[in-house]
Order: sequence, then structure tokens, then C-alpha cells
Amino acid sequence: MIRYFINIITGAWSLIIGLMVTLKNTLRRAVTIQYPTQKLPMTERFRGLVDLRVEKCIKCYQCVKICPTGCLAITHSETPEKKKELVTFKYNMELCCFCGFCDQVCPTQAIYMSKIYEIATYGHEKLHIDLLNPEKYREWLNPTVK
Amino acid sequence: MVSVLTFIIMIVVGAVILGFIAVSAMFLIWWERKVSAHMQTRYGPMRVGWHGVFQSVADVIKLLLKEDIVPAGVDRWIWWFAPFFAVVPSVMVFVCIPFGEMFGIDLIPADLNVGILYIIAITSVCTLGIFMAGWGSNNKYSLLGAMRSAAQIISYEIPLVLSIITVVMFAGTLSMQKIVEGQKEMWFIFRPNLAIAFVIYLISAVAETNRVPFDIPEAESELVAGFHTEYSGMKFAMFFLGEYTNLFIVSAIAATLFLGGWQGPLLPPVIWFLIKTYGIITVIMWFRWTFPRIRVDQLMGFTWKVLTPISFANLAFAGWVLLK
Repeated sequence: MIRYFINIITGAWSLIIGLMVTLKNTLRRAVTIQYPTQKLPMTERFRGLVDLRVEKCIKCYQCVKICPTGCLAITHSETPEKKKELVTFKYNMELCCFCGFCDQVCPTQAIYMSKIYEIATYGHEKLHIDLLNPEKYREWLNPTVK
Repeated sequence: MVSVLTFIIMIVVGAVILGFIAVSAMFLIWWERKVSAHMQTRYGPMRVGWHGVFQSVADVIKLLLKEDIVPAGVDRWIWWFAPFFAVVPSVMVFVCIPFGEMFGIDLIPADLNVGILYIIAITSVCTLGIFMAGWGSNNKYSLLGAMRSAAQIISYEIPLVLSIITVVMFAGTLSMQKIVEGQKEMWFIFRPNLAIAFVIYLISAVAETNRVPFDIPEAESELVAGFHTEYSGMKFAMFFLGEYTNLFIVSAIAATLFLGGWQGPLLPPVIWFLIKTYGIITVIMWFRWTFPRIRVDQLMGFTWKVLTPISFANLAFAGWVLLK
């Protein structure tokens, strides 16, 4: 008989403790964010789309050689003063596996992994990116929120 | 001429009540999502309108536009009528809910002298709708859910009614309006044995409305969705409407019987009534998002071994207090 009442009282007490836990959480700030309108900055070592600082590139072709999927393609020309100039720097995002090897191997930090991660598109042709075009990621940097 | 006027008044009152039920159910769905979200440190609906207030409106429009699927194996008539049996009784209960008074008019469609008895009788019919849904669906999960629902509601009706009887003994009347007036000096919840009755009522009411922790009729992890597994579109919405209307009703009854109904200082009576009712609803939601679901045997053991003996003892104690 005594055990019966002890059970009821301890049970009720444990329920109250549970209610207090949820109440405490109710008063806390929400930890989630409103994603498309509100975004968290990406972490330091996040590997997004590959990007290029054109002026730093020394045309050593290291990135092309190390790329495991062969998604980078470079051509260059030489000026009469024996200076190399980039003609094309193609990046095939369809093949890219975001391993970051090109970023690591680049002696001048010309090629690097950007923080762009919203990279879905409607066509294959948009995945073949010309890294020499300064406007290339404009669409992805500010995705339209509808 | 008088009968025509009465008829028009009846239509208007009915329309107002139906409108209130629809708006209240939509608000409660939104409120439930918000309460649950904040308990889990989320935001909940935020897109449609200010903090997602119109989310339920959007959901209702979606449900209205959905195809009305009738599964091939259902028992057509029973299946078709079940949602109405689940909703109509809860709407009928609003006849006896005292909302307060405004401009000298009592906001109660009809103050029956057997008010609370009428409410208990009518709310029991809701079970019939759930059982019809389970039977008509011709689906093992639905039938199991419906059976559980019937067993649960029959069991919990006893402590519920016993706790209401305690109030009736103190008030000396069954009329809802008179029970409210009987609490002019002191709310019933401040009397010791009526406080116990309130706790018993609240627990039984949560079970009556099939909500967590007593939601075994629709336990997702065991029964898919229980009795409404086979329902979609507007019929599903009808069950939802019935569920939230029941939630409002049990909270309104609790506010009326124990918390002084529409009485309160400063604010108009209607506002007091709604504050108390939605306060109790929020507490029930708080239970829902805190407690885990209990097993069927625990559920039955709890009502027959704990709630019913305590409410009988409480009833006897109340009788002794009154006769002393």
C-alpha cells in the first residue's frame, strides 16, 4: 500500500522534472536559422566551388596534373617577351570531386576552393565554367530567393 | 413571425459557432506547431504571414484541393460517414459552453439545466466516429487503433465523470452557467478536493482527446496512423478538426468547472474565458511535447488502479466535506 503511494508521488515528481526541462528549452533562443534568407558563414576549411585569382597564376599546370578527375583544362600562349598568358582556364564542375588537391598543390595560391555551395543548376552547360570570366559565379553568389 | 426570427437567430448563432470552431482549430494547429518548435529550440512555421500565422490557412486550402481517395477495400458507407460522426458531436457540445456575457446577453447558445450531463453524453459519441473509421477502413492498423480508442475512452470516462460529479456536488447544479456563477467568491480549483478533481480531470481529458502521452489509438510507431490511416484530403482534415475541437472543448469545460469560467477582473468576460481555455490548451500541448507515449497495459493500469480509486476516494471525501 505504501509502495503504491510512493510510486504515484515519485512518478508525478519525475513528470514535473520533465515538464521543467521542456519549459527551460522553450525560453531558450532557437538554434536553427531561416535558411534561404539567413545563412551561416562557411567554415575556414570548407571546400566549395574552385575559383581562380587570374593575376597570381604562373601557368605551371600543377593543378591540371594532380586533379584526380581531370576537370581542369588550361591553355596558354607566350608573348614575344617570353611571358606566359592564359588563354583558357576551363573548370568542369560535373567532374569535380571537391578534393581540394589543386588548392594544396598550387605554389602561388592562385587556384583555391571558394565558399560557394548552392551549386544546383538547370543544365549541363552551366556546369562547364570558364574560370577566366570574372562574372562566372555571380548567379551562385546571390541565389534568387523566391 | 416570432418563429421566423428564432430561426434566423438559430442560423446566425450556428454560423458564428461554426466559424469560431474553424478559426480556433486553425489557430490551435499553428499554436501547437509553434509550441512544439520552441520546446525543441526551433522556430516552427515562419514563412506564411507574420511568424507563419497563415500556415494553417495554406494547409487547409491544400487539403481542400486534394483528391478524395477512396481505397478499394473500404466499407463505403461507414467509411464515408465516420469523419462526420467525429466532428458533429464536438460541434453539438458548443450548445452548452458559456463564453461569457456581452452587452447584457449571455453568450451561451442554450443554457440547458442538464448542461454538463449533455456534454458528457455527446462527447462519448465522438468515439463512435473513430470506431467507424477504424472498422470501415478494412485495415488491421485502423481497426487496432479504433479498438484501442474505444477501450481507452470508456476507461477514462469514469475518472473524468467522477471528477465532474465532485464539481456538481459543490455547485449543486448541472447547468454550466450556474456553475460559473457559483464560483463568484472563489474558483473551485482553490478547494482542496476540487484541486485533486482538477488534476484527475486534466489527465482524463488528455486521454479522452487521444493526445500524447495517451495517443495509443494513433501511435505512429506501432499503428502507422491508427484509425485515419486510410483517410486523405478533406476527410482527414475533418478528423483533425474534430480532434482540435475536442481539445478546445475539454479545456473550455476545465476552465468553466474549475477556473471560474468567464469571471475575472478588468477584462471582458469573453477574453477571460478564452485566456483560461487557451492557457489549459497550452498546458496540454506542453504535456504532449514532454512526455513519451505509454503502453496499452500501462494506460489501462493507470486508469483502473490509480485514477479511478483516487477519484472515488475524492468523491467520498467531498461528500463528507459537504455533509459536515
